[in-house]
Amino acid sequence: MNANTSRQNAAAWEEGAQLFDRTTRDLPPGRHQFHKERMMAQIHETRQAEQTGNDRGARRTTPARTRRFGLPRPAITLPALAATVAVAIGAVVVTSGGEARQGGLATGPALTTTVGVASSEGVPQLLDEIALAAADGKHPVAGPGQYVYIESKVAETFVRTVNDKSSLASHALHTRQVWKSPDGTKGWLIDPAVNDSPEGETLSLPDEQGNTPRADLNSPSYDYLAKLTTDPDKLLAKIYKETEGQGNTPDQQAFTTIGDLLRQSYPPGELYSALFKTAAKIPGVVMVDDAVDAAGRHGVAVARLDETSGQREEWIFDKKTHVFLGDRTVQVKGTSGEDGLIKPGTVVATSAIVKRAIVDGIKETPSQAG
Amino acid sequence: MRTRVRAGDPSAFAELFDAYARAVYNHAFRLTADWSTAEDVMAATFMEAWRLRDKVDEEGGSLRPWLLGIATNTARNQYRSSRRYRAAAQAAAAAELSVPDHAEEVADRIDGRQRLATALTALAKLRRPEREVIALCLGEGLDYEAAAEALGIPVGTVASRLSRARRKLRKLAEASEEEQQRAIGAGQLAGDRPSAALAGNLRESLVKREGGRPGRQTRGDHAHAIRPAQEGNR
Repeated sequence: MNANTSRQNAAAWEEGAQLFDRTTRDLPPGRHQFHKERMMAQIHETRQAEQTGNDRGARRTTPARTRRFGLPRPAITLPALAATVAVAIGAVVVTSGGEARQGGLATGPALTTTVGVASSEGVPQLLDEIALAAADGKHPVAGPGQYVYIESKVAETFVRTVNDKSSLASHALHTRQVWKSPDGTKGWLIDPAVNDSPEGETLSLPDEQGNTPRADLNSPSYDYLAKLTTDPDKLLAKIYKETEGQGNTPDQQAFTTIGDLLRQSYPPGELYSALFKTAAKIPGVVMVDDAVDAAGRHGVAVARLDETSGQREEWIFDKKTHVFLGDRTVQVKGTSGEDGLIKPGTVVATSAIVKRAIVDGIKETPSQAG
Repeated sequence: MRTRVRAGDPSAFAELFDAYARAVYNHAFRLTADWSTAEDVMAATFMEAWRLRDKVDEEGGSLRPWLLGIATNTARNQYRSSRRYRAAAQAAAAAELSVPDHAEEVADRIDGRQRLATALTALAKLRRPEREVIALCLGEGLDYEAAAEALGIPVGTVASRLSRARRKLRKLAEASEEEQQRAIGAGQLAGDRPSAALAGNLRESLVKREGGRPGRQTRGDHAHAIRPAQEGNR
């Protein structure tokens, strides 16, 4: 800012500089950083509060990332989201012996990886092969009284703030088990990062507020998916329409929506194949030569970079069979999170599909069923 | 930057903080006369800025005037009455001057304390609107337009407040100088060091740069002749 405007001559400026030359100083040591971190934490807190507030009313218009490890049912998503938020802002973090625990799950240092090389060449061919492999696999039909069972291994990195000190922490790799009835009204979840007790919690409807949410793209039931169009163009149009205003960009949100379906549902055979054909039509989808899922399995990935956050969502497939193994989100460009703590190479979230099956009872696993 | 601030991009606020926290802190000090209060005002200013982010115009230059304006309002709430500001400023000035001279304390630092006390005493003599304009234009070097933007008042009002405040400060300088002259005449110099120093500095700050003033050189010499005596060199 130049003080020497036409109305303020050099002499007047000198005069001020002299009078005030001892009233400028730096903040006491460490206070700049202290106040900055506090400000960032408060910004984070109010943003989250605003987002949670939005959830209750109209559809969320904020990044889809917050939804990722939420549950398929909104009424459960809210408390789960709130718990994540609370940990992130340090409101309910209990520190005992230096280790913070949440829901009985140990936390550790940030998860990191080497960032694979991305290329846009060969993406359509790869997705074609994946779609073919998907069409080949058997997808048993879920009938009334049965349950879709999905067992996965998941881990994620988050920003933890304790006593105004923010650092990266992670939920250790753990097993997540979900049972859902085909109509989406009955279900059970066991995920130590979310549950308060080891038995897990119910996903059965109606929820505690008496609502029976309709299935949609973001919380699909098996029946809903079975009726969904398998025409890639129509499906993509529907995805864009239904996720309008969500996420950082429409394209990224479409990609994330399909990713969520791959990970958190058991799509009927034709749809499963169609999902990959649909993804091939989203601009900016790339191929990553090497990626590792949560179970440590290496594979080739179909990915898309979220330019806003600098995070790349990678769907990982077996290099030979092209079977979907799992997915992960890696910070590849710039930093994100509070104070830019999430640096390139950080694995923000990772998962691996362990088992997907149709079972006859809630809390029954395929081996028990025989 | 303005677009990012409006959009509520947290990284934009991190950048704003890095760029302007010090300026806001110093500005807040001039308006509160207390470094620790200034720190509180600074922290509150950035949270208020976050809250008011959608009031930022898409068009415009640096956001520094905007932040300094918020800081001004925040500081105003700290000291609702001028009386309280005066009390704080006088206490702070006295504290700066009452620190015993250590043998190892270099002359420069003693001079610095006196200059700080001078600035605070001068600010305390102004009415609050005048003090705010002086702090923005002279302390932070904003031009009239930026100060007007910061305070949400017309440019003409900034100009008139500033010139009134300047006249007042000059009068104060001259008055305290006369007092000082009398003090010298009465041989009270040794017992009246802070006041003498104040007059010297204030006059130097406000008068010396007024080119072509008759007798300027003489007065300047005076101030210089007095200071070594205060520093105990004689």
